[in-house]
Amino acid sequence: MNLFASKDDLIRWLGSLLKEHIVIAPVRVQEQTTFQPISRVEEVVFDFNNTALSPKGWFLPPTETLFSVQRDDGKVELVPTKVERDAVIFGLHPCDARGIALMDSPFLQEPSDALYRERRSRTALIGLACRQAQPECFCTSMGSAPDDPSNVDILLTEVEDDYIVQAVTEKGKALLPKGLAEYKGKVPAPPKLETVPTKEVISAMRELFNDPYWEQLADRCLHCNICAYVCPTCYCFDMRDYADKGKVERVRSWESCQSPGFSLTAGGYDPRTTKGERLRQRFYHKLFYFPEQFQDVACVGCGRCVRDCPVNIDIREVISNLKQVMEAKSGS
Amino acid sequence: MDKELIQQIRDKARNLLKEGTVEGVIGYERASDDLTSRPLFAYSPSDTERLIFDETCAHNLVKYLLDKKGKKIAVVVKPCDSRAINLLLNEGQIERDNVFIIGVGCPGMVETNWNHKSETLQAKCRTCQLFKPVVYDFLAGGEIERQAEEETYSDITEEEAKSVATRREFWLEQFGRCIRCYACRQVCPGCYCPVCFAERLDPLWVGIRIAPEENDMWQTIRSFHLAGRCIGCNECERVCPVDIPLSLLNRKLEKDVKELFAFQAGLDPEEPPPFATFKKEEVMEFEK
Amino acid sequence: MGPESPFTPYLATLKTATQLTPDIKLLSVELEDPDIKASFDYKPGQFALLSAFGEGEAPFGIVSLPLQRDGLEFAVRRIGTVTRALQELEPGDTLGVRGPFGNYFPLEDYVGKNVIVIGGGIGMAPLRPVINRILERRNDYKELLIINGARTPQDLVFQPEFPTWMKAPGTKLELTVDRGDEQWKGRVALVPDVVKELAPSPDNAIAIICGPPIMIRFTLARLRDLSFKDNQIVTTLEAKMKCGLGKCARCNIGEKYVCQDGPVFNLEQLSQFLEQP
Repeated sequence: MNLFASKDDLIRWLGSLLKEHIVIAPVRVQEQTTFQPISRVEEVVFDFNNTALSPKGWFLPPTETLFSVQRDDGKVELVPTKVERDAVIFGLHPCDARGIALMDSPFLQEPSDALYRERRSRTALIGLACRQAQPECFCTSMGSAPDDPSNVDILLTEVEDDYIVQAVTEKGKALLPKGLAEYKGKVPAPPKLETVPTKEVISAMRELFNDPYWEQLADRCLHCNICAYVCPTCYCFDMRDYADKGKVERVRSWESCQSPGFSLTAGGYDPRTTKGERLRQRFYHKLFYFPEQFQDVACVGCGRCVRDCPVNIDIREVISNLKQVMEAKSGS
Repeated sequence: MDKELIQQIRDKARNLLKEGTVEGVIGYERASDDLTSRPLFAYSPSDTERLIFDETCAHNLVKYLLDKKGKKIAVVVKPCDSRAINLLLNEGQIERDNVFIIGVGCPGMVETNWNHKSETLQAKCRTCQLFKPVVYDFLAGGEIERQAEEETYSDITEEEAKSVATRREFWLEQFGRCIRCYACRQVCPGCYCPVCFAERLDPLWVGIRIAPEENDMWQTIRSFHLAGRCIGCNECERVCPVDIPLSLLNRKLEKDVKELFAFQAGLDPEEPPPFATFKKEEVMEFEK
Repeated sequence: MGPESPFTPYLATLKTATQLTPDIKLLSVELEDPDIKASFDYKPGQFALLSAFGEGEAPFGIVSLPLQRDGLEFAVRRIGTVTRALQELEPGDTLGVRGPFGNYFPLEDYVGKNVIVIGGGIGMAPLRPVINRILERRNDYKELLIINGARTPQDLVFQPEFPTWMKAPGTKLELTVDRGDEQWKGRVALVPDVVKELAPSPDNAIAIICGPPIMIRFTLARLRDLSFKDNQIVTTLEAKMKCGLGKCARCNIGEKYVCQDGPVFNLEQLSQFLEQP
C-alpha cells in the first residue's frame, strides 16, 4: 500500500528521526551535493541529480579504525571499534542502494566483517526514486531501475512537491511516522534510459581478456583513483597500523587497483606492470570476477565514473567497444 | 571550431605517421558526451581523422610522454602545456629528439565537465600572456591575437592578509573533502617520481589514513615539491573530483618564487628550477 | 580472546627467534588463549597473517607441523617495515596472528608417489612442513628428492635440519648455490640447471616448486622438458595480501583469489587462469 507524505510531513519526520538516529542525507558543500550526517533538517538538499560521492562511505568509510592496541603493564589488549548509534540514510537513489547490496556479498560472506555487519543491520535506507535520468545514467542495463525498491527499506517518489511513500521492509514500516494517508493516485512512470549491451559482453569477457584493446584504452588512463572512489560498489581497501603518540590503531582505508603498488609484493614482484593490465583489472573485477564469485555485475549504472573520469574512460563506451571486438572476432 | 586549424593538425599528424617520423601522435578527440574532448593516441594515419582542437581541449598531454620514453612521439601542445616540455627537458626526463611538438596558438580554454561546456574562460587562461607555445617543431594556425589580463595575484594577496588561524581553518576544511584519489598527482607533468613520497612507508610521511591532517600533509608537501617547477597548467584543480582550490596553493608558491628568484618554470629549457640549483654566489649573510 | 571480527588478530607471544640466514629468522610463537591454541588447526601450505603491532600485517606460510605443540613457526625474511618489526621482537613480546588461511598441499594425493621438492631461498619455507610431514609418515611415500638452492651458502634455508633430511631413508638432499665462497665445496649452479642435471623421472612423481618467480619459470620449463605433466607440478604463489579473507580484492590472479583458492595450485589449474602470475 502506498502512503502520501507532504514535504512538510517529510521534514517533520526527518526531524523526529534525527532525535534517535544519525541521519545521513544529501547536503550542499561548496558547489557539490554529498552525503553527510546532518545536525539540522534544514541542511538536507531535496533537489539534486546525484551526489558527488556515493553513500557507500557510511558502511565502508574512506578511513576507519578497526581496533586499537592498548598496552597496560606489558599486557596487550585489542579493543575493537564499536558502532554507537542507529542510523538512517535518507535520499539515496536506487542505483546507490543496489551498490550497497552488492558490497554485502564480499563483506557479509563468512567470516563476515563485524563492523560492516553491525552498521548494516543498524542502518535503515530511505530511498528516493529518480524522476529524471541524467545523460550518464544507465541503471537499467545494470540490474536496477530508477524506481527499483529492492534494496531500500522505504522508497519515496516525488509527485509535484510531495511524496509517495512505499514501505518495502518491516524495518521501513517501523520507521514510518504515524498518520500518513493512503495514496491512491497514479505512481509516475520512471524515465527511460538508453541501454548498454551488458549481458552479451559479460558472457564473452573470458575471450576478450588478451585483446590489445586494453592497452590502447589504458593509454589515456591516469591511474588515479577517481573512478573507484566515486563508485557505489568498488570496495578494495588497504590496512595498516598507525602509531601516533603511543596510540596504535589498525586502520582500514580505501585503495583501488589503479594505485601504484597495489599488487606489488615486498620482494619486488608485481603481476601487473603495464597500464593495460592495471586498467583491465578494474573492468574485469566489476564485469567478470565479481559475477563469477557472487552472480552479480559489480556496476549499478550510476554514471559517476563517466561524469568524473578526467580523461573520459566511459564504461558504457567500453562495453559497446567490447561488443564490436567480440563481433569482429567471431567474424560476424 | 576552427576547421582550418584542425586540418593543419590532422595533416601534420598524418604525414608524421606516414613518413615514420613518429610512432604515435598524442592529441585530442571528441569525448563520449559529443561536447567536450579527451586525449587521443593516434598510431595509424587513419586515426588522425579523429583529431580536433577547440576551447574544450584543456588536458595537458605532455604527461603522457613519460609513459612513452624511448619512443618517438608527437604531441599537440598549447602554450601552457609547452612549458611542461621545457620542464621535463631541463630535468632530463625526455629527449628532445624523441618529441615532435605540434604547437597550437590557444584562444583560451573554457570551464568544462563531462557533458557541460560553459562560456567562462578558465581563470588561468584569463591571465595567460603566451600567445603561442614556448617550444614547438610545427605551429598549427599561427600566433593568436587575444586579450589577456595581467596576473596580479590579487586573490593570493587577499588570502595572505588573513590570519594564520583563519587560513588554517579554511585549508583543513578544504582538505577535509580530499579523498586522496591522487588525480592531481597523476595528471601533473611535474609529478613523476617512481615512488611518490605518499606511497613510502619508511619514512612514513603521510600514511594511508584519509583524514584532514594527513590530507593537509599530502597537499602541502606536494605543493612544495612543485615550488619553482609548477608551470601553471592548473590540471590538478580541473581534475579534482571534490573541487579543492589547488591553484591557490600552487600560485602562492609561484608568486613567492617569482619574488624571491625572479623565476618562472618552463620558459627556458636551459635554466634549472631554483630548488634544484646551488650557486656559490648565493651567500647567506648571518647576523653576528 | 575470541575475536568477533575476522580482522582482529589472536594474541600470541614470541617464544624463540632463530637466525637461519643473514636476513631470515625462524620465529616460534605461542597463541595466548589456550582454547584458540588447542583449536588452531592447519595443514601444510596454509598461511597466517602476522601482526607487528604499530607497523601492520603480512602473510607468512606456517612452517611448523600441525600437531607440533611446541608452537607455530614462521620463517620471516627481512624485506620491508613489517618484517623488520617482526624480526626486532624479543622473546616474550606480543604479536598478532590471523589464520589459518588458504588451501593446502593435498598430501593424501601424493601417497605412494615419488616426491620432488624444489625450493629457492625463502621459497623453502612453505616446503619445509611438506618435507617434515613426509618424513613423519615415511612409509606412505616413495622416493623423496629435495633440491634446495640459494644465492650463497649463507642463504641456504633450514641448515639445522639438513642432517635429519640427509639421513632419512629413501631421501636425497641436493644443495646448490648461485655463488660459492672459500669454504663451499658443494654444487654451484642455478636450481633449474640442477633439475636438468639430476633429471628426475616423471613416472609416478609429483614435483612441488617454490621460489622467486624467475626460478619457478625456468624450473617449470626443465620439468616440462623431462615430460612432467602439468598436473604433476605444484606450486604455491606469492601475492600482496591484506585481509586473507577474500574481501579486500587485492590478491587475485584473474578470477582466483590467492588467499582463498590458493596459494597452492597445480600447473594445470594455473594454465587455465585468465591472468597469468
